[in-house]
Amino acid sequence: MAVFLIYRLVRLQIICHQSCIGLRMGSAMVPGRIVDEGDRRDMDRPLLQVEKLKFRFRGQSQDVVEDISFRVGRNETLCIVGESGCGKSVTALALMGLLPRDSVRFGSGEIRFDGESFAPSDHDRIAAMRGDRMAMIFQEPMTSLNPAFRIGDQIAEAVEQHRKCGKAKARERAVEMLRRVGIPAPEQRMGEYPHQLSGGMRQRVMIAMALANDPELLIADEPTTALDVTVQAQILELIAELQAETGMGTIMITHDLGVVAEIATDVAVMYAGQVVEYGPAEAIFNDPQHPYTIGLMASVPSLTGPRRRLSTVPGSVPGIGQMPEGCRFSSRCPFAAPVCASRPDLAEIAPGHRAACHFAPLDQRLERRA
Amino acid sequence: MSDTILKADGLKKHFHLGGGFMAETKLVRAVDGVSIEVRRGETFAIVGESGCGKSTLARLLMRLLEPTEGAIEFEGRDIAGIRGRDLRELRRDMQFVFQDPFSSLNPRMSVGKLVGEPIETHRPGLSRAQRRQEVARLLSTVGLRPEHADRYPHEFSGGQRQRIGIARALASNPRLVIGDEPVSALDVSVQAQVVNLLHDLKSELDMTLVIIAHDLAVIRHMSDRVAVMYLGQVVESGPTDEIFANPRHPYTMALLSAIPEAAHGRARTRLALSGETPSPAAPPSGCRFHTRCPFAREDCATRIPELGAATQESRVACHYWQEIAADRPAAGLTPAAGLSEGAQRRFALYEAATQATTPHPRTAANAEA
Ligand SMILES: Nc1ncnc2c1ncn2[C@@H]1O[C@H](COP(=O)(O)OP(=O)(O)OP(=O)(O)O)[C@@H](O)[C@H]1O
Ligand SMILES: Nc1ncnc2c1ncn2[C@@H]1O[C@H](COP(=O)(O)OP(=O)(O)O)[C@@H](O)[C@H]1O
Ligand code: SF4
Ligand code: SF4
Ligand SMILES: [Mg+2]
Ligand SMILES: [Mg+2]
Repeated sequence: MAVFLIYRLVRLQIICHQSCIGLRMGSAMVPGRIVDEGDRRDMDRPLLQVEKLKFRFRGQSQDVVEDISFRVGRNETLCIVGESGCGKSVTALALMGLLPRDSVRFGSGEIRFDGESFAPSDHDRIAAMRGDRMAMIFQEPMTSLNPAFRIGDQIAEAVEQHRKCGKAKARERAVEMLRRVGIPAPEQRMGEYPHQLSGGMRQRVMIAMALANDPELLIADEPTTALDVTVQAQILELIAELQAETGMGTIMITHDLGVVAEIATDVAVMYAGQVVEYGPAEAIFNDPQHPYTIGLMASVPSLTGPRRRLSTVPGSVPGIGQMPEGCRFSSRCPFAAPVCASRPDLAEIAPGHRAACHFAPLDQRLERRA
Repeated sequence: MSDTILKADGLKKHFHLGGGFMAETKLVRAVDGVSIEVRRGETFAIVGESGCGKSTLARLLMRLLEPTEGAIEFEGRDIAGIRGRDLRELRRDMQFVFQDPFSSLNPRMSVGKLVGEPIETHRPGLSRAQRRQEVARLLSTVGLRPEHADRYPHEFSGGQRQRIGIARALASNPRLVIGDEPVSALDVSVQAQVVNLLHDLKSELDMTLVIIAHDLAVIRHMSDRVAVMYLGQVVESGPTDEIFANPRHPYTMALLSAIPEAAHGRARTRLALSGETPSPAAPPSGCRFHTRCPFAREDCATRIPELGAATQESRVACHYWQEIAADRPAAGLTPAAGLSEGAQRRFALYEAATQATTPHPRTAANAEA
């Protein structure tokens, strides 16, 4: 079901993709980094700022994503981490304007992209930036690659649409991008079909296509989850390299705390549709505050040091419609108390570091309570 | 005393692929000469990347597949060619837990039926009432409630379904359980519940566990000894702690250095591999790893390295492991810089609180339903 849905969404994206007109005409069409108009690079302004995004699907009694806020700057990588079903993918699709219009109900929210404000329901305006100023890659590359077309044609077409350049120029760019993502003999590979490539190669092709128009923002939804660790390391490295080169902002969605530790500059920990902890990566790993973040970290077996019995988070994530009121983690939280029936604010604990728990910081509040 | 419960010698499984009319058939060497020894009471792990032959090996060991070549001994008895009654008996003593808790359970059978079925097959002497009792006992053993017997798989979460799969495997009182990625499909917080459960069951029921996984952290946590596979062959094996602290085979080094660890700011030197695993239908000549090995020398493309003793306990299949080790500091992982002091107290509080609310890990699953 879910797979079918994503497939439909992406088809939708491809259709939009084909009908929309690139906004950026000023870019020079040269291989390599495309130099932008300087005014877009205002360093104080975050590239993307999301405020209190909240929506539900038709027929559901609870919001699937509730009041989530975060920001991403140029050259920064925000990791959204959480277990399956916590709303990571739908958040990404919302930012891309890819949620099915007729079944989603936005409660509130504002998306500011490079200073310009969008209502999350403003699908058309958001769609105009998609594939151009912002791009997305998926866990399963075949959601963006069409099995019936040669990979070279697919990348070139994406370039041509947004750049309004000629066919020859677009193909040149496609070859260059394939080379950039580490595909050997790119001229020959241009003529191959997706099924002729391995999983890791397809992932590279999808990245080449997403980045062909030099997006300012890349949203990557579990791009390495299906890959082996040695290939995952190559892909993460590739994304980091491309980011260093182009200065794009990146949102990396993952359930793997290891991946987060490796690449994040900032982290948003999501549980059941809420951001429960948010802050710089170092603070999240070395000074975690929220009981869910702590439980998640304690559940991961360690690769070094003594082996101890794993801590767990008891139970499992409740379904939509069964979420407890107030703090949604309260049905699994070992510290839950009556006050947790009211929703805790995502309050600042240290500069830039926020946690949504009535008892944060636990070491001070709970030791006192005990 | 190290008593061998399961032993494979030169085990091979080759599949024929394609080969319609006039088409060329391809020979997929999924498992290509594997020798391992599993000791009674230990947890033995098999690790390697996708397609290296782990699942095929597990199916061979269970005799769910017939080997193309090689010997398998279970408790000293050759089982490579057994059939009929002998095979049924083997199925009782050796059980399987699958990766996917969503597709491995028949959705139309109640949990009571699912767990009762293997009891009926393997212990036909039990009366219906005794069987019900046995189902109830097994369900509580894996941390479910006896009332759950009347429910159907779709009513359970992933972790609970994996518990049902484990209860099924335990129904015949097996002496050895093979888990093919038994926790890979689970979210980490739930994965930890099932890892702890397997650990407890193993010691309480005196079982031997063979765990297949691609997650090295899970392997290190669970296993006593480990075999690392690449393209259908074992490239290194030995005690888990030794291999993690001091991997000798370049592939093991690369694998360990590629795992992202959930700790901030750890300096590491990564041994990057280029390219991807070649197809087992066309394995490279000589050392199968030579196309990706950063230490490969010319003769690696022609000379096949044997899996030979490196120490008394461990084995490695590389011509140059000694030279490589001499040139490099131990390639194992070092612990990361620590948590803040407040965070350490928070972790301790969390652990104490989860233990207080869930006195035994098995009751963790009860909490939700
Ligand atoms: N029945 C079959 N017919 C043909 N080839 C097969 C068959 N079963 C497995 N193979 C091939 O044998 C190789 C090893 O497969 P296997 O499933 O054992 O790998 P694995 O290590 O378990 O991988 P994963 O981590 O992806 O589960 C693969 O190349 C696979 O495609
Ligand atoms: N189109 C949709 N209609 C109804 N529910 C949906 C839809 N898309 C996703 N969901 C639900 O929203 C929740 C969050 O899903 P998702 O964002 O895919 O989670 P994650 O990516 O964090 O694993 C899940 O409960 C999922 O079943
Ligand atoms: S608010 Fe209450 S239930 Fe929520 S995380 Fe904090 S202690 Fe736990
Ligand atoms: S035998 Fe050669 S190619 Fe193989 S692992 Fe050793 S050094 Fe590398
Ligand atoms: Mg998702
Ligand atoms: Mg497998």
